[in-house]
Amino acid sequence: MIPFVRRSLLTVSVLDEDAVASTWTRNADAIILDLGADARDRPAARRVLADAVTAAAMGGSETFVLTNAASAYADARAAAVPELSGVAYVGAESGEDMERLDAALSEIERESGLPLGCLSVIALLDSGAGVWNIREIIRASPRTTSVGLDDAGLRRALGISPSADFDPFEYAKGRVVIEARARNVQPIGMAHPYGASPADGFGDSEIARLALRSKNLGFAGAICPRPSWVSHCNRAFAPAEDKLEFYRETRRLFADGVARDTAAVPYPGTTMMIDVPVDENARVNLELWELCAERESQKAAARELAKLRLEARTPSS
Amino acid sequence: MTKRRIRRSGLTMPINNPRFVDRSWTRDCDYLNFDLEDSVPQSQKEYARSLVPRAVEMGLKGAAEVCVRINCAYPEADVEAAALPGVSQINFPKAESGEQIRGLDALITEMERRGGIRPGTIRIGVAIETALGVANSYEIASASERIDSFGPGTGYDMSMDMGIEMFVGFDQFFYNRGEGELIALALGLERDGGVYMPDTTGDVGDSSLALARARASRMAGLRSGGGLHPNVVAPQNAGLTPTPEEVGEARGILRFFEELDAAGEAEGALNGKTVDRYESARAAELISWADACALRDAEKAAARQRETERIAREEGRETA
Repeated sequence: MIPFVRRSLLTVSVLDEDAVASTWTRNADAIILDLGADARDRPAARRVLADAVTAAAMGGSETFVLTNAASAYADARAAAVPELSGVAYVGAESGEDMERLDAALSEIERESGLPLGCLSVIALLDSGAGVWNIREIIRASPRTTSVGLDDAGLRRALGISPSADFDPFEYAKGRVVIEARARNVQPIGMAHPYGASPADGFGDSEIARLALRSKNLGFAGAICPRPSWVSHCNRAFAPAEDKLEFYRETRRLFADGVARDTAAVPYPGTTMMIDVPVDENARVNLELWELCAERESQKAAARELAKLRLEARTPSS
Repeated sequence: MTKRRIRRSGLTMPINNPRFVDRSWTRDCDYLNFDLEDSVPQSQKEYARSLVPRAVEMGLKGAAEVCVRINCAYPEADVEAAALPGVSQINFPKAESGEQIRGLDALITEMERRGGIRPGTIRIGVAIETALGVANSYEIASASERIDSFGPGTGYDMSMDMGIEMFVGFDQFFYNRGEGELIALALGLERDGGVYMPDTTGDVGDSSLALARARASRMAGLRSGGGLHPNVVAPQNAGLTPTPEEVGEARGILRFFEELDAAGEAEGALNGKTVDRYESARAAELISWADACALRDAEKAAARQRETERIAREEGRETA
């Protein structure tokens, strides 16, 4: 998969001034600014969008704007400042849809003086056609870096009433994970039931458990409807800290084995054999850990800088 | 119709480990998978290829089907070493495209020609171990007539490609299983692999789990097993073989359905269960599978007996 870290994608309403003003402090890897479902709110939301993008990005988070086919050009145009990372695009049903979006973003990049190709796309699928055509959707444009389900939209499209008892999207999620990873695109999603009904009551430990389950289903990040989800997703989608020494020991033992002309090495005290894939898994996890640590440092430095700037702007009493 | 292969149990082992290879014929495996791939270090690849003839000889002593797992990175060199008389199947790991399999088929065809092996003798086993492999499963499974079975992408490599930790207590490969099974059924291939059972340890030698999984897999219509530890061989042979009670019940169903048929009836009740054409076909399949398993067990036992006697004779000569 593309080596980037986008574990938590926090959604924030552009029209919620307080939420926008504080979102840079949330330590999300990415922020998705939501213009709202009501078309009547859209012009007002677009007027504040550029400032919201700048504000949201202050803490080092990638910043995206949530949009759809009907509004993509106008929304992205209104958001087109250098801090904009791209769009979270709901509703693609075909490769052609993504080609049209790609063309619109290219046009916006030219008009706004942004580097060509800098805007990336998070595709959120909300229909049976979208899930079925995921392969052509994610291959249509190199801008597509993440893909997931828009659970609420898909539920509506399929006429499904949400229930915590069963996951109606097991197959769809499996398809997203496999097709995304097959094309080096990041799969994002949250395990049932929170993907389908994020507004229900939940506690911290439950979110942490389900974020870890999502990771172990093959997702690499999740959309967070609330700031309290961010830390759980950052932790769950990174390698577990308590396994780092195990990974390091695995690598050491395997290297010793190879030096003795064997690539099947028993792990002491277990029935586990270390061979190439076990060693590779340890390597991949240690590298991902480094990437996550680097991302945390970047965000921490950005937040520190933002604090200093804000303090400098505040008149002393 | 091609004879159904009996592949209830099999051990995969590094071909460069003589301790494993020399005892492989004693294990009562339906097949043996001698590995040139991940359990052999890079520095030993060339040497490992030179060990194939001896491994084949060892494996055949116990009448196991002999398979060789090659490296997807070195198909030419590996196939040249592995496509020998006595080898039933070449296993190709991390398959990701139909083109790879067509290339492998051509290499085997050439080796069969050069080695005087009847064309089409050597089968191809493909292992799906990456997300791209799952996505391209249909084209992979349909790329060669040498493929007669197909299974889903699971296991350590697959988990690495999916970015997941294994043994977390739920089925992380359900999508892959569905794809693999549907494709096998659509192409008329034997379905490889087993049903999911919770496993939080990853203990490759857990005989109880192996037995439970083998039984459950047979109930789900699956017929093949395999593993890394000798402890799982006997449970897999047992769990994937119908019990005498099941065979007796199946014979009763067949007799009952024949009577129904003779009376012009399409269905009836036997011991509280409905018997119809579908149940009758299932019973016939179970009996046929049980007969084939019994034949295979006798074949393996006889081979091991012959080899044991031969060793005893040789030891006797040495003592004398």
